[in-house]
Amino acid sequence: MKKHTVVICTGTLCHVLGGSELPSLGQSLPEAWRDLVNIKGSPCMGYCKDGAMQPPFVEVNGELIQEASVSKVLDCLEKHIAHGTKEK
Amino acid sequence: MKKMFIDIDYGFTPKFGQIVCGDVFLSEKIKNENRLIAVLSDGLGSGIKANILANMTATMALNFTINDQPIERSAASIRDTLPVDPQRKIAFASFTIVDTEFDGQTRIIEYGNPQFLVFRKDKLLTIDHQFLADGEVSITEFQTQIEDRIVLFSDGVSQSGIGRKDMPFGWETDQMGGVISQIIEKDSGISAYELRKRIIGQSILNDIGKPSDDITCAVLYFRNPRKLLVCTGPPYSKNKDEEMAATIRDFEGRTVLCGGTTALIVAREWGEEIEVDMKHFTSDIPPISYIKGVSLVTEGILTLCKAAELLKHGNYEDVDRHDPARLVIQELLSHDHIDFLVGTKINEAHQDPSLPVELEIRRNVIKKIAYLLEKKYLKEATLKYI
Ligand code: FES
Repeated sequence: MKKHTVVICTGTLCHVLGGSELPSLGQSLPEAWRDLVNIKGSPCMGYCKDGAMQPPFVEVNGELIQEASVSKVLDCLEKHIAHGTKEK
Repeated sequence: MKKMFIDIDYGFTPKFGQIVCGDVFLSEKIKNENRLIAVLSDGLGSGIKANILANMTATMALNFTINDQPIERSAASIRDTLPVDPQRKIAFASFTIVDTEFDGQTRIIEYGNPQFLVFRKDKLLTIDHQFLADGEVSITEFQTQIEDRIVLFSDGVSQSGIGRKDMPFGWETDQMGGVISQIIEKDSGISAYELRKRIIGQSILNDIGKPSDDITCAVLYFRNPRKLLVCTGPPYSKNKDEEMAATIRDFEGRTVLCGGTTALIVAREWGEEIEVDMKHFTSDIPPISYIKGVSLVTEGILTLCKAAELLKHGNYEDVDRHDPARLVIQELLSHDHIDFLVGTKINEAHQDPSLPVELEIRRNVIKKIAYLLEKKYLKEATLKYI
């Protein structure tokens, strides 16, 4: 079964600019989603080099979330799970 | 002659019922002379009085030796300064002085303590003891090699178990030598700390948990210096990336990468994946990652700053076992020579005027860590910029 993929930026800038709680996302996942979602970390994803975008950054199945927070990521995941869009 | 590293550690347990140990161990590395001096002194009796006698003796013996005083004179001065027990008419405190250079030239002076032991790998060596005219002080000179260990101990060790049916004369040299040989045979790289812990543990066991005298043991382990490479920050120019990656690959020893960009460069150059550890995390610094072929990969500046603070205050054991800064410190402290390779490229993202100048911080924090390692933890550190 293919899973929904969440990639959290664990780079320095994303961390200091609000991302420090993101790695704990797994603990906030509803029980029912646990088997559907794959959470990964990434070193600086490079978005922070673009001054127009706002860290911290998270990708859900490739869709970029700016100013990410645990609740924002969960909302986005909900949308993806409902639509059944999954990344290969 | 090749320079060796001397891993040294000691420990003690006071006689059962006493709070203070009447044995004292002191040591000092004299860096510009490439020399290490260690003294074990056993004060007469036990408790506070013995401790003071031993302390005075050890301090004098250490300082006389550092100042290259002839041993006859040192011994006489010590004897003149300290009281002789009025009832028993025996001397104040016994001592063993080890004076060794990092190339292995070693001199050991003994007075009253049980004779030291030397192991070459796991074999106990027999060494000639030369006595001075007074018949009490002995001087032994020999050349140590890599993988030699000198074991010093007070009579609380050699007399442990005395009177027991199976060991009426205590823990005799042959027996003790055999036990230590076996320990080394099983674990050839055993550290000074581990070995002396085992010896003290066995002595306490011989005394069935109630030491009948102060037990002290020190181990000097001559070994090849353990080297660590810490690499942080991308190189100044892109065409140095390859060089940095190659330096890490060719390094003989463990390697640590601190910095996301640094990790990305190495992974790209080697064609390896980076996997971030999402199982353990602390909220104040980002998690560690894994790259095949690197011992430890962490985020850069935040982790290094935290490590520097913890090293400064020495309280790193208070933070979580998985804390990335603690993992870095563990690598630093379990090695003897630490090479820092510091990239000097300015990170575009961090040049935002609202953020501090990251490069300066990186250089300063590395300098601070290197300083602490040398001064506080007696390591050797070198800094190179790329
Ligand atoms: S630190 Fe997250 S994108 Fe750069």
